[in-house]
Amino acid sequence: MIRIEAEPWAAMVAHARASYPNECCGAMLGATEGDTKIVRQAISLQNAFQGAQAARYELRPDDLLAADKAARERHMDLIGIYHSHPDCDAYFSATDLQNSCPWYSFVVLSIQKGEFHHANCFLPNFDQTEAPKEELIY
Amino acid sequence: MAKILIPTPLRQFTAKQNSVTVPGATVGEVLTALTTEYPDLRKQIFNDEGKLRSFVNVYLNDEDIRYLGKDATPAADTDTLSLVPSIAGGTPGGTN
Repeated sequence: MIRIEAEPWAAMVAHARASYPNECCGAMLGATEGDTKIVRQAISLQNAFQGAQAARYELRPDDLLAADKAARERHMDLIGIYHSHPDCDAYFSATDLQNSCPWYSFVVLSIQKGEFHHANCFLPNFDQTEAPKEELIY
Repeated sequence: MAKILIPTPLRQFTAKQNSVTVPGATVGEVLTALTTEYPDLRKQIFNDEGKLRSFVNVYLNDEDIRYLGKDATPAADTDTLSLVPSIAGGTPGGTN
């Protein structure tokens, strides 16, 4: 299960709304307590996809490395990635799956007509063939 | 003895350590030593052919080793290695 605290959740939704009609992306920092991942900070990262960003996002590994360093400096862990789906449901698409990593939780925010609609979290597998849902609380 | 920063989800395979130090004169040797000392990490980093998984990037300090000498990049005691995934995605034409 992953629980996102109010402040990072508000930052993630604001980032997704501000990026509309393009996709946004970022990193989630926090801690794991028992079986629950708790997100305490969200870091917005640049969508580095070269092309139309309404339906694509790409994280620079350099930016992810910096996010991991920031987490360590703040005595937190990098525990997940988030991105938005403008005018689209919060599902884990084939493109998401093919470009995923099994190490992290992936939160997808559905932004419909510029406003937050719903969100889901996924845990992709090693073979990038499936990504079961992870219980998400926000 | 280069230092390797362990990503959060992989610390379950390194006795919860967020960084480990292993011997090796090159990045390749360091990664081999890492997965020898912590064998459960092997599947996380390497595929069945023993090559780095497609989503795994290895950084020596702040440089991707693909732009240095790849596996043959020299690793000094003062160097820090990081394992950084490639992540992207999107929706087909922005429709469901």
